[in-house]
Amino acid sequence: MRRAQAFAVAILSLLAASDVTSATEKQGGILRVYHRDSPASASIHEEATYSTNVPFMPVFNNLVIYKQDVAQNSLQSIVPDLAESWAWSGDNKTLSFKLRQGVKWHDGKPFTSNDVKCTFDMLMGKSAQKFRKNPRKSWYDQVVDVTTNGDFEVAFNLKRPQPALLALLASGYTPVYPCHVSPGDMRTKPVGTGPFKFVEFKANESIKLIRNPDYWKKALPHLDGIEFTIIPNRSTAILAFVAGKFDMTFPTEVSIPLLKDVKTQAPNAVCVVEPINVSTNIIVNSSAPPFDSLDIRRAMALALDRKAFVSILFEGQADIGGTMLPAPAGLWAMPKEMLETIPGYGPDINANREEARKLMQKAGYGPNKHLQVKVSTRNIPIYRDPAIILIDQLKSIYIDADLEVVETANWFSKVARKDYTLGLNLTGNAVDDPDQSFYENYSCNSERNYTNYCNAEIEKLFDQQSAETDVSKRKKLVWDIDKKLQEDVARPIIFHGRQGSCWQPYVKGITIMVNSSYNGYRYEDVWMDK
Amino acid sequence: MDAINYDIELKRAGANSTHGWRKLTFLAQRHMLGAVGLVIMLIFVLTAVSADFISRFDPLSVDSTHRLAAPDARHWMGTDSFGRDVWSRIIHGARISLAVGIGSTALGSSIGVIIGLASGYLSGWVDLVFQRLIDILQALPLLVLALVMTAALGPSLPNVIIAIAIPLIPIVARVIRANTLALRELPFVEAAKSIGMSEMRIALRHVLPNTLAPLIVLATAQLGSAILTEASLSFLGLGIPEPYPSWGRMLSESAAEYVRVAPWLVIFPGVAISLAVFGTNLFGDALRDILDPRQRG
Amino acid sequence: MFAYIVRRLVLMLVTLFGISVIIFVLLRIVPGNIVDILFDAAGFVDKADKANLERELGLDQSIVVQYLHWIGGLLRGDLGYSYVSEKPALEEILPRIPITARLAGLALLFSAMFGIPLGVISAVNQGTRLDYALRVVSLSGLSLPSFWLGLLILMASVSLFGTMPIFNPNPQTFGQALAIYCVPALAVGFRSAALVMRITRSSMLEILRQDYIRTARAKGASETTVNYQHALKNAILPVITVIGIEAAFLIGGLIVTETVFNIPGVARFLVEAIRWRDYPIVQNLVMFIAVVVVVANFTVDMLYAALDPRIRYTD
Repeated sequence: MRRAQAFAVAILSLLAASDVTSATEKQGGILRVYHRDSPASASIHEEATYSTNVPFMPVFNNLVIYKQDVAQNSLQSIVPDLAESWAWSGDNKTLSFKLRQGVKWHDGKPFTSNDVKCTFDMLMGKSAQKFRKNPRKSWYDQVVDVTTNGDFEVAFNLKRPQPALLALLASGYTPVYPCHVSPGDMRTKPVGTGPFKFVEFKANESIKLIRNPDYWKKALPHLDGIEFTIIPNRSTAILAFVAGKFDMTFPTEVSIPLLKDVKTQAPNAVCVVEPINVSTNIIVNSSAPPFDSLDIRRAMALALDRKAFVSILFEGQADIGGTMLPAPAGLWAMPKEMLETIPGYGPDINANREEARKLMQKAGYGPNKHLQVKVSTRNIPIYRDPAIILIDQLKSIYIDADLEVVETANWFSKVARKDYTLGLNLTGNAVDDPDQSFYENYSCNSERNYTNYCNAEIEKLFDQQSAETDVSKRKKLVWDIDKKLQEDVARPIIFHGRQGSCWQPYVKGITIMVNSSYNGYRYEDVWMDK
Repeated sequence: MDAINYDIELKRAGANSTHGWRKLTFLAQRHMLGAVGLVIMLIFVLTAVSADFISRFDPLSVDSTHRLAAPDARHWMGTDSFGRDVWSRIIHGARISLAVGIGSTALGSSIGVIIGLASGYLSGWVDLVFQRLIDILQALPLLVLALVMTAALGPSLPNVIIAIAIPLIPIVARVIRANTLALRELPFVEAAKSIGMSEMRIALRHVLPNTLAPLIVLATAQLGSAILTEASLSFLGLGIPEPYPSWGRMLSESAAEYVRVAPWLVIFPGVAISLAVFGTNLFGDALRDILDPRQRG
Repeated sequence: MFAYIVRRLVLMLVTLFGISVIIFVLLRIVPGNIVDILFDAAGFVDKADKANLERELGLDQSIVVQYLHWIGGLLRGDLGYSYVSEKPALEEILPRIPITARLAGLALLFSAMFGIPLGVISAVNQGTRLDYALRVVSLSGLSLPSFWLGLLILMASVSLFGTMPIFNPNPQTFGQALAIYCVPALAVGFRSAALVMRITRSSMLEILRQDYIRTARAKGASETTVNYQHALKNAILPVITVIGIEAAFLIGGLIVTETVFNIPGVARFLVEAIRWRDYPIVQNLVMFIAVVVVVANFTVDMLYAALDPRIRYTD
């Protein structure tokens, strides 16, 4: 088993190596990209938004990474990065890595296994130095410790088998940080081993990266540098792209109507629309009336006309599914036939709503006695717009809902206080893997489980699927869990959005990932045909 | 001395009658632009008042099958990306804009007048205290205040009105004060003083009416600019929140995405804002000409 | 006069103190602080980490202690650190000031350049077609939302010329520098010019009806002498007030314009800082703006005294 995998890795790394040396690529040029907002800091480990990943992923390397020119992230598309190879132990409880030698940090210090240990100790909260914020600590819940063997070998020792750990390590969210730079410095002037060096980050203005001439992958990167200009105003940003002031839009940030506009004004621009693995969902306060009643929760689920959401907000270009990203982009989605058996997913909306009204009448509501509720959401269009549609749809089942918009600064504390009835929420999934989305959003102790949904029976199933090494068996388990979560109306998923990205025709080597918007921004293979 | 005597003014200008329709006709002819402004304002107010009767659809009702419909017999101004009827949203938006305009202007001007008059006429320590207050108010830029207010109180209609009214106070107060300072030295005030009129009476009977002209110019200009400020706040994401149909938000949120695909989403709110503001400004100008007390012979 | 000036200077300090208290308190009664926002980006609020961070930033101290700490620092020239970028606040604010100042200066220049002459022309020709045309144009200037005007300019520029002015800290050519400053300044200045023109016109009209103007006319002074020597000189007072006030309030118009044209000046920075609850930046920026306004007001009052013989400031 171990040998077979090591062999597979060797082949993959060979493939990866052969890919970088094709002759047509031109060197040089600064890639100019606009950025949608000013990220809170430059430290990827401390942030949970791709506003940080996009500009700073090029500064770093991971142990392993999703192959950057394969659009669909999967265990098969993982290739070595700072690790030369990896291997699972026979009991599947130890994942060990052989590290690349001769790699240098941007400040000239050598990279060793100690840096890897430092990074993950800090993520697990075990080191003296602490991150200010540590949003993905729970990713490493199954890791007992990280041990080194000499300067170029590390091993992750697990409590139980967790094949998905490798997927988490391959995410753009999991760069290796240097031991010798403090977390504070990593927030303001990050040091990595990656293809580009950090030059400057002016809040609300720009982020500049320059080519790392000593990059350990010879002849890479192709670009001389990358310049992100921060333009929070969408209209201005798109106009500037159309006017040729930028080589690329901020990835997966162009809405469908804007995309049409770009295509008419700049017909040569290359544009793609891909799923971003961000689900729009309803957080339901099931600890207080009226939604403590499963009947009323079910009625709400039955009232949803998901197609209407998709046609209004995405002109049809979004996907309907459960917690896991729908196929074909998503790897773990349940089959369509199974999905349609879940209340509210059936194709006959009128029949669903008829059933919903019956449930509402059973709970004491009717045409003469409407239920008054508030739908809370953040004061941002991508949150507000679906809330408007939700409110309209709830009218059909005797629910009169008012919209309550909440400032960003107050949103999470409000949610944490349970000071809401229904909330409209967006959940981004960095890795298309059930371990990431189930534990984070539905596990009893997770900080991001906003609804505090806690079901001991399902919790056991979470662990069972997580430890399962047979992929097809795991899939079946995942489907069942996902179906149960939807039937419990734990956090009904409305749709999975898609977004557009555009670049000028001379920009080559960009791949927009189809099942994550957090992992595809290393940009070492990007070049410009000018 | 009467504050404003329209009749004398009208006779002097050659009006045959100072009553009824003929008087109005005369004024309208003399101030064409003002009359146009008045008509626009009346339409605007009437629309706002009767929005419930003349709207053809619920302005909040979503219809996914009729989204982005071009203007036609059914949807006079087309529909937005949610399939909501733009005509209904525009006329309900008139109500919001009117509330913002009148609410904030009335609130801001009345406080401003009190402060300005007291400050300019009474002078001394009252002036000093009020001037400090004005300096402080004026040193907090409108949008800073609005941002902090919306963040503190949550974005809502009354909060936007308050946020827009506060920056108006120092503008009104300063102009009223400057005028009062100048007026205080004029002969008719001295005369009133010499015949033993009380200070309060002089301030209210003579100084206040004589500062009305600049006040009206300011107030009408502010009526329009309040609507514009709400639009700017909406553009910055801090205006009147959903679900109220605010013109500013309708314009700012569709400006980028739909200017080519569905121009009616941009044109109608844009025209509504500009026309309403234009109308109040035209009317304000004419009012100023008519009400100016120094036109008396 | 000297005593008056000294007293005014003392009062200016009082005003600034008042502002510092108000802005400080306002910022702290707002629910949600920087820590909430920082955690928002992380998608959850961890109580222990939040408490740590609040301690690190000094937000756990009482409001009085925090205030004294800030003012004490300010007096020593230490503006503190931005919570977000973790750089000294001064380093963040200082480079952005000249950008906004250049825009504001240009916009004021445009407003006076167009506003005053057009206002005079309009008043002198009251009731004529020229007057009507000028008034309609100025009114339409006041009727257009400034973000909309800005976007229209950008859209027109892209459609007609295939390019648009976008801010560049190091413009290559003089033309480029001119475009990136003048176009946004015109967008802001258009509105101010309309305002200045209206005030000039109404002020002129008022003066033209005053007794001394009639006297001058009766004495046989020429129209030009009356209009420009007597009337404009006196009518300019309210115009100066408006320009003075407009200078301070331009920051509001600039917030929108800097956003539309994506110019990294202080105005837009202020909005971002408020959104982030980045207190050190907001407080110091507001104080800076306050100083500018207070000085502008003082200057306007001094000009008043200098220009209007009827007003004398005495002790």
